[in-house]
Amino acid sequence: MSDPSARRLFHWFQRTRVGRSIFRVGLPQSNLERAQAMVSSFLLHVQPAKVGRHALRPSTTLGLGLISLYLFFILIGTGVLLMFYYVPSTAHAYNGMKDLQFVVSAGLIVRNMHRWAAHLMVLFVMLHLCRVFYTAAYKPPREFNWVIGIGLFIVTLALSFTGYLLPWDQLAFWAITVGSNIAGYAPVIGSKLQFLLLGGHTVGQEALTRFYALHVILLPSLALLMISVHLFRVRKDGGLAQPDEPANTVQQMEASQLPTNKSYGLMELARGTTPQVGLNPEDEVFSWPNLVFRELLLFLATVAVVLFLAIFWNAPLEELANPIHPPNPAKAPWYFLGLQELVSYSAFWGGVVVPGVLVAALVLLPYLDRQRRGVGRWFAPERKLATTLFTIGLIVAVVLTTIGSVFRGPNWSWQVPWKQSSTLTEGP
Amino acid sequence: MTDAPLRRFYGWFTALGLLVGALVVVGYYRDEFRDWKDYQRKFQREELRRATTPEQRALAKDLPLQVRQILLPDLNRVDRCTTCHLAVEDPSYGGYPQPLAYHPQHDRHPFDKFGCTICHRGQGRATTVADAHGNVPHWDSPMLPLKYIQASCGQCHQAADNPAAPELAHGAQVFEASGCRGCHKLDGVGGVIGPELDKVGARRSPEWLDRHFLSPATVTAGSGMPPQKFSGPDLDAITLFMLSQTGETMPGFYASMKVIPSASEGLRLFQQKGCIGCHSVGGQGGKTGPALDDVGLRRTPAWMIKHFQNPQAVSPGTVMPRFGFTEAEARALTDFLLNLRDQKIALTLPSLMSPVERGHEVFRKYGCIGCHGADAKGGVPNPNAKTAEQVPSLTYVSDGYTNEELKARITNGQREITPMDAVRPPPPLYMPAWGGIIQDAELDDLVAYLMSLKPKGEDVGF
Amino acid sequence: MNLPPHNHEVSRRSFFQLTLGWLAGSFAVGATAAAAVRFLVPNVLYEPGQRFKAGRPEDYADGSVTFLEDERVFLVRKGNTFRCLSAVCTHLGCTVNRTSQGYHCPCHGSVFSNEGQVLGGPAPRGLEWFAVTMSRDNRLVVDKNLSVSADKLLVV
Repeated sequence: MSDPSARRLFHWFQRTRVGRSIFRVGLPQSNLERAQAMVSSFLLHVQPAKVGRHALRPSTTLGLGLISLYLFFILIGTGVLLMFYYVPSTAHAYNGMKDLQFVVSAGLIVRNMHRWAAHLMVLFVMLHLCRVFYTAAYKPPREFNWVIGIGLFIVTLALSFTGYLLPWDQLAFWAITVGSNIAGYAPVIGSKLQFLLLGGHTVGQEALTRFYALHVILLPSLALLMISVHLFRVRKDGGLAQPDEPANTVQQMEASQLPTNKSYGLMELARGTTPQVGLNPEDEVFSWPNLVFRELLLFLATVAVVLFLAIFWNAPLEELANPIHPPNPAKAPWYFLGLQELVSYSAFWGGVVVPGVLVAALVLLPYLDRQRRGVGRWFAPERKLATTLFTIGLIVAVVLTTIGSVFRGPNWSWQVPWKQSSTLTEGP
Repeated sequence: MTDAPLRRFYGWFTALGLLVGALVVVGYYRDEFRDWKDYQRKFQREELRRATTPEQRALAKDLPLQVRQILLPDLNRVDRCTTCHLAVEDPSYGGYPQPLAYHPQHDRHPFDKFGCTICHRGQGRATTVADAHGNVPHWDSPMLPLKYIQASCGQCHQAADNPAAPELAHGAQVFEASGCRGCHKLDGVGGVIGPELDKVGARRSPEWLDRHFLSPATVTAGSGMPPQKFSGPDLDAITLFMLSQTGETMPGFYASMKVIPSASEGLRLFQQKGCIGCHSVGGQGGKTGPALDDVGLRRTPAWMIKHFQNPQAVSPGTVMPRFGFTEAEARALTDFLLNLRDQKIALTLPSLMSPVERGHEVFRKYGCIGCHGADAKGGVPNPNAKTAEQVPSLTYVSDGYTNEELKARITNGQREITPMDAVRPPPPLYMPAWGGIIQDAELDDLVAYLMSLKPKGEDVGF
Repeated sequence: MNLPPHNHEVSRRSFFQLTLGWLAGSFAVGATAAAAVRFLVPNVLYEPGQRFKAGRPEDYADGSVTFLEDERVFLVRKGNTFRCLSAVCTHLGCTVNRTSQGYHCPCHGSVFSNEGQVLGGPAPRGLEWFAVTMSRDNRLVVDKNLSVSADKLLVV
């Protein structure tokens, strides 16, 4: 912050007794204060006092993880607001959605923001997964953080899926009917899992209540907890992956082994690595303001995009859910469409084996991958096999999802979207 | 502090900050400036213009700018139409252009108990014109064009013989006369070739219904329904009647009208209990009790209801038996008798009708006309049927069947109709099995009627 | 890179950019907070309205005091004048009952006269009278938002 008058105002406030009790460190004016600003702040101390230059470069991470986090915060904010008007009852849910659209100030915009941020979050979490893979940032010592990340991915999908049902319109009802049927295909536990999820055999009030509880408290709490661990582990595993970092953690570090030109490593003497592993003084910068300012910019950009989408495109709301009036075809939410396409070939192979193997492969990836080289570099040639396999899988997933979304018409028959209408409704 | 390395981002910071700020402003404008506020200001200006006293001016100035709604928890509806239609209850706004016009007969069905959408349909929770009138995607029940408004009466009131909803009554009459029940079930009675009609008014639009009647195959692929020849008014009436079949069950307060029997229910009871044995109407009937033609002029409705429930109590020494009528039945009979003078109810008195005449009634009641034509003369197309691609006429049925054979044929029906050409699709119309639907006594009468169709004096004579 | 000790020098362009950026950003934050608060203020209420129609004058007998249950008011007619009294006890909000001499609250025993004045019990002040007017289609209109004095009548 370089604006002189605002700075002076803040300095005045910070010199008062009230101000000093809140802000222990004023606006940093020396390097010591820059470090203290990060360490003494609750919100900021999850980040180190200094970061490597590589961490600031957009190409290192593309900011995808941060964007996912910002979208999550936007979702929490808009979600809490929506809770003041939404009632998870089959008789009132849809009416609540209409009220938000018509009689609540800014209701339509808040709802739209929530919907678009949700879709974007699923997308960006996927992109973040791809980035981490392509830069080999899952290799030791970061294996378990990758596993936590996969867990977060599943939680994100679960959050989106549970939220999808809440409007209780035709789109919601049938997407969840299809989705929960796919879950039912799992061997042994499938039907029990479906029964537990729906609180019964069909999608009804019980399912709505459960999905609401999952969506507003259980899954967000789980996500927040896992995100905290995820970010903590980034620190402990040595910060963002960079090329030529020393492989493997150093378990024990004697104080005398610390490089002598460093004097701020005190808080890193607990077990684990410091983010400064392998960094020279010229390679690092203070997080305040270099990292923090860039993060602020990214937040502004994220908010701008979500706000733009929310103002000009309305989230869909179809007719009230009607169990005897299925649309033809009934489609799962977009992130499950690839799965639905597979299931249309074979319920067992497509709904159980393939996704099961995929998730298992993803989770076990860091432990199966023997190659130690290539960390921190995009598409490192040493990992050609892994990169190729992953890319093929990615392309297949995208193709299947695309087919499922635009090339499937009534009765899941093949259609070209520019020639025919996409859905019919059937029923008595 | 000067942060030379950050300086190159300051431009981004400004741009993004301004962008977010601008978007917030745009969002505010879209949210704040709504159509209904303009309509309310228009109303306020009109009220100010009409104000003659200072109190009226003050009242007009104080008109709050807010969404107005009618809460209808029993119907699970909320109607916000009065947000723009502000003068619906004010007769002095008669003749004004919408949305400020007065709603005629506004206290017939008070708005605070009925709202608006129960009759007019549309989307009550909406507050924009297009969404509220309901002609938008993903809203199943757009506003009814005004000429069909009487369809909504049928949700709570009886349709047949309803003097306050003449177009609805007309529609019910066209329905019965055209023999639609021959193929379609309504209220559980009818044939099974076409779909049941109990919810058709909620699913189909007036335009679809019009086209369906005139040319069914263009709206329903593969339909076997023969195109109907309705005159303009009849077409409107039958479409209106179909629109009234929404299949919605109305909660208690609203459904009470439907369970109050109508004059036609009274007629049915009159015939069933054989009142004509002792009382005369129009010169026909028994002489034991008084003639009933002008009973409405001589007796009050309250007296008549009491009389039905306990004749001795109001008319000591009478020989009229105590029939054990429920109050609903007593009211229905009273209704019927009161209307004897006002309505031309064809008194088809069973004891005076011959089996052939009764059979003709059965033929009409179950919609046989729909397939076998008026007076069973045939002429209704049945593509690819061997019988000259038509549903056969029944005029000469007495030549080919005995009474027992004909009864069996009607009871069992005929599902497979011999096609003319095996390559083409099979004929769509077939004879349903009416056993269990047509009562036994009715069946005897029907057979008597059909057997009488051959013109007298004709012999088969080959 | 470690930065040199604090330097107040700012280029004019940077100053302008930063000020504008912070102003716009603060505005956005402020406006968003205001919008969130406004969002939470209900625009429609799912309860019986404060202003409602009470039927026709003919529906009420001369000298009658009629309790309207959903709206919690008494409609008082004398001759051709109409008044409307709140049935909400001013102590803690229970609904009072009509007695032959006035009104009585069953919760803590407050007693009110026919004119709504406190005769006994813990009520701090008398029952409220509400404005009654006539609508254009000849119905009585009660407005619970407008309190009037006990002698304000609607003459029909």
